Amino acid sequence: MAEAGPAANGGVAALSVEDIHKSFGPLEVLKGISLTAHEHNVISILGSSGSGKSTFLRCINLLENPTAGQVHVQGELIRMKPGRAGDLVAEDDKQVERIRAKLAMVFQSFNLWSHMTVLQNVIEGPIHVLKVPKEEAIARGEAVLERVGMLERKDYYPAHCSGGQQQRAAIARALAMEPEVMLFDEPTSALDPELVGEVLRVMRSLADEGRTMLVVTHEMGFAREVSDKVMFLHEGRVEEYGEPQQVFEAPKSERFKQFLAGTLK
Amino acid sequence: MDNVIAYMPSILQGTTITVAVALCSVVLAVIMGLLGAWGKLSDSLAANKICEAYTTLVRGVPELVLMLLLFYGGQQLLNDFGHATGLWGYIEINHFTAGVFTIGFIYGAYMTETFRGAYLAIPRGQVEAGVACGMSGPLVFRRIIWPQLVRYALPSFGNNWLVLLKATALVSVLGLHELVWESFTAGRSTRQLFTFFLITLLIYLVLTAISDVLLRWLDRKYSLGVRRA
Repeated sequence: MAEAGPAANGGVAALSVEDIHKSFGPLEVLKGISLTAHEHNVISILGSSGSGKSTFLRCINLLENPTAGQVHVQGELIRMKPGRAGDLVAEDDKQVERIRAKLAMVFQSFNLWSHMTVLQNVIEGPIHVLKVPKEEAIARGEAVLERVGMLERKDYYPAHCSGGQQQRAAIARALAMEPEVMLFDEPTSALDPELVGEVLRVMRSLADEGRTMLVVTHEMGFAREVSDKVMFLHEGRVEEYGEPQQVFEAPKSERFKQFLAGTLK
Repeated sequence: MDNVIAYMPSILQGTTITVAVALCSVVLAVIMGLLGAWGKLSDSLAANKICEAYTTLVRGVPELVLMLLLFYGGQQLLNDFGHATGLWGYIEINHFTAGVFTIGFIYGAYMTETFRGAYLAIPRGQVEAGVACGMSGPLVFRRIIWPQLVRYALPSFGNNWLVLLKATALVSVLGLHELVWESFTAGRSTRQLFTFFLITLLIYLVLTAISDVLLRWLDRKYSLGVRRA
């Protein structure tokens, strides 16, 4: 297996997901979804609720166990074996933990650790997972907090921050892991409308600096202006996929046309 | 007054026994409680049933009955078993051990519910965030779950502790020379029951007041980041 660094992996995709299936009991929510993200790609994943878009994202880092399919991160296959519930489970927990550290996730409801300050949240992963020395982790943490405009609130606890601030802190926590790919799971859906902008601005700037990002979102403006590719899911299948221009100007799928009509305000 | 002074050393001696029984019992109860909560929350059906039976049984009968049953009945059972199998001869369980085991066993059931509830109060998303950044199971437990488990468990733990501390008075029935037993003895010999039980009452109050201070300190320590209404 090639362990290629970012500079040497010309041909290897940052993330490649093949034919992911996922069932909850008799209900099949993902019916074979594939996706390749190269370095610096920003891919938006759209779909109405229940389309499986969040489940798909959560299958990539095995927060959900897929029923079938494969995930490669920088060419490395996540080894899986059949589990008791008929799904696939990690064959080697250590491998999955190592790969998860490369796939930072930002959640809809922020999920900051409430017993830690903003800075403690940000340095937790680097210190305990990546084994970065504390001083270095703090320096790195303060830099990423500065980056998302949260440095002055570093000693606050999450409960004393607004939703937008919490989400920016959560993005800083993800950045501090220096991930290869960032997974965003509806990062603005839980926010008050006036707080959405500050989070989207941070995400745009991350896209601009060449981060590889998968973004499950309802923000059509973001999908259209920032992403390289747009994927539209409907009932567990990819209904539409392509460059934003082409997808938004000339959608092929009826479903996607309906979806777009529905989201226009 | 002379009587009080004369009996004070044994009363204080009894107080240390009371505190010692309570502290040892609470340690055992916490261990039982953590095991019980783990069993109730586990995927194993057998573990669920056993822990369910434990909490239902213990919380459903008077402590004194259970204490007498475990102390006298338990000793008898142990000796009958030893006799039948020839594995050991006559054993006499000492009062201190018996008291600690029965109280620890009983309050373990209450602690089970305390810890189970506390665990369920931790937002799942925070656990997921730990998993998603590559933490191992034990690391998630140590860094994310445990500190919050303690925080959510503390109010109910404090409550259990106070009830447990007072329940040690029941151990006097087993003949352990703790605070109540010593006061009763002193009161009867001097015919000053009122005086000695008043002193006992005050000693219990002092013990619970000290507990309150400690619990409040712990609560502050573990409630960092909690927004108070």
